[in-house]
Amino acid sequence: MLLPRLQPPLRAALTSIARSAPSGSQTTCLNDAFAQLAIKSSRRMNGAGVTFVRHASHKAQGAVNKAKDGPGKRLGAKKSGEQYVIPGNIIFRQRGTHWFPGDNCAMGRDHTIYATESGYVKYYKDPEKNPKRQYIGVVFERDQVLPLPRNAMRRRKLNMVAQKREQPKVLVQTDLVMEGDASTGVVLKQKKNKERKGEEGRNLRLRPGYMYRESNWEIGRAAERAQVTVREFKPRDRWTAWRKATIRKAKNAEKRGLGRKIGSKK
Amino acid sequence: MSTSQKAVRPLARCLRSLQSQRQSANNFRTLSSSARCNVEAVVDSTPEKPIFDPETVTSIKGEKALMKSGILPIGSRRRRAAIKSSDNIPFEQLPYLCFQEARKVLQEDREEKLKLIATERLRISNMLARDPSTFKGGVLEKETKLSSMRRYLEWLKIQADINDPLIKKRFEDGEGDMNKPIYRYLADRKWREYQRKIIVQRIEQFGIVPDFLPHFEPTAEVQLAFKNRNVQPGEYIDSRVSEVAPRLKVQVFNKGERLVTVVVIDGDVPDAEKDRFGTRSHFIATDIPLSPTDTSIPLSKVTKEQLVQPWLPPFAQKGSPYHRLAVFVLEQQPGQPKVEAEKWAERDNFFLKSFIGKTRMTPIGFNMFRATWDDGTAGVMERASIEGADIEFKRKKVVALKPKQKARGWEARHASDKYKSLRR
Repeated sequence: MLLPRLQPPLRAALTSIARSAPSGSQTTCLNDAFAQLAIKSSRRMNGAGVTFVRHASHKAQGAVNKAKDGPGKRLGAKKSGEQYVIPGNIIFRQRGTHWFPGDNCAMGRDHTIYATESGYVKYYKDPEKNPKRQYIGVVFERDQVLPLPRNAMRRRKLNMVAQKREQPKVLVQTDLVMEGDASTGVVLKQKKNKERKGEEGRNLRLRPGYMYRESNWEIGRAAERAQVTVREFKPRDRWTAWRKATIRKAKNAEKRGLGRKIGSKK
Repeated sequence: MSTSQKAVRPLARCLRSLQSQRQSANNFRTLSSSARCNVEAVVDSTPEKPIFDPETVTSIKGEKALMKSGILPIGSRRRRAAIKSSDNIPFEQLPYLCFQEARKVLQEDREEKLKLIATERLRISNMLARDPSTFKGGVLEKETKLSSMRRYLEWLKIQADINDPLIKKRFEDGEGDMNKPIYRYLADRKWREYQRKIIVQRIEQFGIVPDFLPHFEPTAEVQLAFKNRNVQPGEYIDSRVSEVAPRLKVQVFNKGERLVTVVVIDGDVPDAEKDRFGTRSHFIATDIPLSPTDTSIPLSKVTKEQLVQPWLPPFAQKGSPYHRLAVFVLEQQPGQPKVEAEKWAERDNFFLKSFIGKTRMTPIGFNMFRATWDDGTAGVMERASIEGADIEFKRKKVVALKPKQKARGWEARHASDKYKSLRR
């Protein structure tokens, strides 16, 4: 009684399943079909389910996919032991600190060891300073030995020459100009100060393009030199903006009025 | 602070409080219509200078006025403010049961320690009385035993007082008596907490240890001041400020009077001929008495007998790297022969190491400042009649190892003077 009445909707359901996923035989369990029905509604809500399959052909972990051997970075010793160096000469290039800077040496941003004095390079260990580290130092005489004995005075060089001190010249600037000579009589006149504010002491040089002018960066500083101060712009300061706008509009209106007057007269 | 001021202070405080009471009494309105009895008396009183109490002064003005008169305000400003606002009940009368019980415990402990001290003293006197031949190791063993017993006695003395809240209070207020071992111990501990660390760091940073001395452990605190300019260790000091000799405050933390020598050395004197740095002594004075309570050594007020080399103002010629001026306090051996002024008259190439070796002194304290060329240096050198203010040091040019590369490309084509204007 019940079965025939159930048959039409069931069949419809089964066909729909068969359309979506062709099953092997019609004789799949009715239970399966029901289960699929139940799941299907929920899946539609979530979106299509994705399943990955891992094949054995490609390895993703381990040492397989590491970067290939790149170009050489030319690391290592640039100066050997007892070689003469001057300040700034690179002695050793390295990744990390295989070597540490000893006497008269320093370490750069990328751990490069370079000389700070001219002399002879020494590679040495200093167990009293650090039992594990190895150092690169520079000595002034070739036969000097590093490390220095414990608590011995440091060897230092002045590397300077004594000169007569240059007295800073005191320039007396006057605005007085002498005109004429002995025959006509001398007239002292005050030179008119033509220079505008902020343009004092400009260094005008012939620059590319046959122009006597300052360099661009100096021109850029002109306002600063003239001590022109501009009020800092504050975004969203509507009060100042409104005030400025009204002033501007009033000015424009005035200009326009003047123009008309002039025009009308003509 | 002098002892008389110390003695007078509580009295003055008492009087002041009385005054304030009387004033408050005067403020009452009396019912009688006649004038108050003291109104007439007020007329001739002049506006008196306010008297500041070192225990309660909190204003900067008051502190300065006090310090000008030679009295240091106690503790910190916060502490003084607390004293001002609190009832200042002594510890014995504080109404906190637990506190009083704890005090009792501490007192018991102290009694115990005092007993131990008494027995230790007895043992030491017994040991002193014993004949050294009765020991197995002879005199040496007796001496070592005695010294260890004395050390133990000193430790006991400190342990007897270290937990006393009153002693802690007195020390923090700066009223500790440096003749007593406990205050010396506390001062030493406080110094080692911060100030000594700074000095040790300066010794390391500025290469004082290999350059001036082979090894050095400071045991005394040295503070340096030029007139009213306090010097932090290693600071740059203007040559005009350091023209006059500084004032030292040397605090030693072990008991007894001793004689010290003060040496000021410049360790970076440029020597262009030999292409190296030399040293120069700027000041030497010997036989200066020093004790834990008597700490001030004004170098400008050293007597003629004490002076070996008078103060030479530190100077640094233009261009020369900074000069390290090291101030060393050396402790002399008791009964040491006097340092001959003629023998040590030479200022240049003064080596502290050899000076110490010859005079057999031990360095105890250190402080330093630095000097560079500044606007006043030329004037200072002129006034001290030192030559060489017109000399300037410039870096030696370093000869490159490789020849300069010949210009190539665009640069070579535009090398002639025709294109001079294009060059930078």
